[in-house]
Amino acid sequence: MKQISVFVENRPGSLMEVTSRLTEAEVNIRAVASFDTPEFGILRMVVDDPQKAKQELTRLGFVVRIYEVMGVELQDEKGNLNHMLSILADGQINVNYIYSFVIREQKAPVMVFSTDDMEKAKEILTKAGVKIVTDEEL
Amino acid sequence: MITDDRWTERIRDPKAECMSRDERAALQGEKLRDLVKRVYGVVPFYTEKMKALGLEPGDIKGIEDIGKLPFTTKEDLRENYPFGFLAVPNEKIARVQGTSGTTGKLTVMAYTQKDVDVWGECVARCLTMAGLTAEDRIHVCYGYGLFTGGMGLDFGAQKLGAMAIPMSAGNTKRQLMCMEDFGATAFACTPSYAMHLAEAMAEAGVVDHMKIKAGVCGAEPWTVEMRKKIEEIMKINCFDIYGLCEITGPGVAMDCIHHEGLHVHADHFYPEVLDVSTHEPVGEGETGELVFTTLSKEAVPLIRYRTKDLTSINYETCKCGRTTPRISKFKGRTDDMKVIRGVNVFPTQVETALLGIGEVIPHYLLIIDRENNMDVLTVMVEVDEKFFSDEIRKLDALRNKIGSVLREALGLSVRVKLVEPKTIERSEGKAKRVIDNRNLV
Repeated sequence: MKQISVFVENRPGSLMEVTSRLTEAEVNIRAVASFDTPEFGILRMVVDDPQKAKQELTRLGFVVRIYEVMGVELQDEKGNLNHMLSILADGQINVNYIYSFVIREQKAPVMVFSTDDMEKAKEILTKAGVKIVTDEEL
Repeated sequence: MITDDRWTERIRDPKAECMSRDERAALQGEKLRDLVKRVYGVVPFYTEKMKALGLEPGDIKGIEDIGKLPFTTKEDLRENYPFGFLAVPNEKIARVQGTSGTTGKLTVMAYTQKDVDVWGECVARCLTMAGLTAEDRIHVCYGYGLFTGGMGLDFGAQKLGAMAIPMSAGNTKRQLMCMEDFGATAFACTPSYAMHLAEAMAEAGVVDHMKIKAGVCGAEPWTVEMRKKIEEIMKINCFDIYGLCEITGPGVAMDCIHHEGLHVHADHFYPEVLDVSTHEPVGEGETGELVFTTLSKEAVPLIRYRTKDLTSINYETCKCGRTTPRISKFKGRTDDMKVIRGVNVFPTQVETALLGIGEVIPHYLLIIDRENNMDVLTVMVEVDEKFFSDEIRKLDALRNKIGSVLREALGLSVRVKLVEPKTIERSEGKAKRVIDNRNLV
């Protein structure tokens, strides 16, 4: 699954600038997370058209990069996130960061995480019966 | 603090400092003739320049002929680094000093023992101008080392016969302790550090424990208001000392108790103030570029060295009795150099340093502020796709790396701020590189 990361300064309105540009470009945001320091932050998003999002934002002067992340479907039950994370922990997979989808029209919730070892994570999760979500399935 | 109407003026060398204008011109002419003879045929740079102008040493008959001579620039010194300008054999060199905190090559200046003596003598004249005598104890918190500040004041204290306390910069608490315990009666440092000392002293409630009566401050621009503030807090008199390594170091000029311009020791350093575009002398009181010729220097004599500082000159006799020409506090620069905490900074140095980090120079902007009377340099750097990482720790590492590269290149600690692309204002396609919020002029 693809994620776009945007560099933003930590000041009022900076996140809104990104989201309003995407709205204008008719790009839908599926998941969003921001990570910040006192001065700057990174806005990470899963969108329906990452290439278009990157093109538009770059044209408007934002720094954007597309990264490969892992999306996994979780049953909406107690302890399921913990279960998925323990699978990764047992498999010695380091999770750089994790966030969840906001809205998914009655489908099961999806967690998005980043790791430096995508292949191994995929293998371990598949073996444990966790459903991996692709861009196409969103 | 002593008001100027109650001040007892002391003049170290009345003959040199109070001679008539004609007498001084005759002395300067004689020294200039000698200087040209000392460099012609010895320093290739001057020999070639003079030949190209069709000049021979005999053409220089008096100080009025100085306009015939070629200029010297900082770039000329760099091209002849380190010792291309030497006018004496190696064995006559006693020491070197250099500029502080620049990228790449330094500007390095050599001195014979006589040069050191003249330098010390000029600083001693300044210290006397500040009311100091052999009985005084001078606490020097300029840096000691290649930088001329510490050594220069030390040489001056020696000539004066005063006691020097060679503290160097930093560790304010310890500075105050030594000042009090050693009974310092004067100090020398940058004006911003003096302000810092004043506030630290007031905060610690030790102002009245001190015997300080004078502060000799220079190496960076400061305002009259700042001087008055320091004077008020410490209950002392402060003086503005000027100099540059190329010409000798601190002591080229200083203001007296009347603070109506800085007295240039014109028997050793001949000042000209020239129109920025025509390079012809401007009228008395008009602003132009300050140009110096070192009349006495042996090791590296410089002819018409362009300081790029903008000032005006006044030849009237001062209320203090000195007849030496006085230059006004600087009104700016002909280039984009900034003096930050006593360190000369050119935006191009930042550019060179940033080039070392990536292949492309990111857009950047220097912002200079004065917070709590200390200069603070912030460098804003636009993040581009090459620099950008999805991970905060990598961006933090990038920021720290830029910080350390700049600190090394400038000799100054720098705050780095990463900003979004295109947030740094471009004017006419060219980015503005420096914003100075200090209001020093």
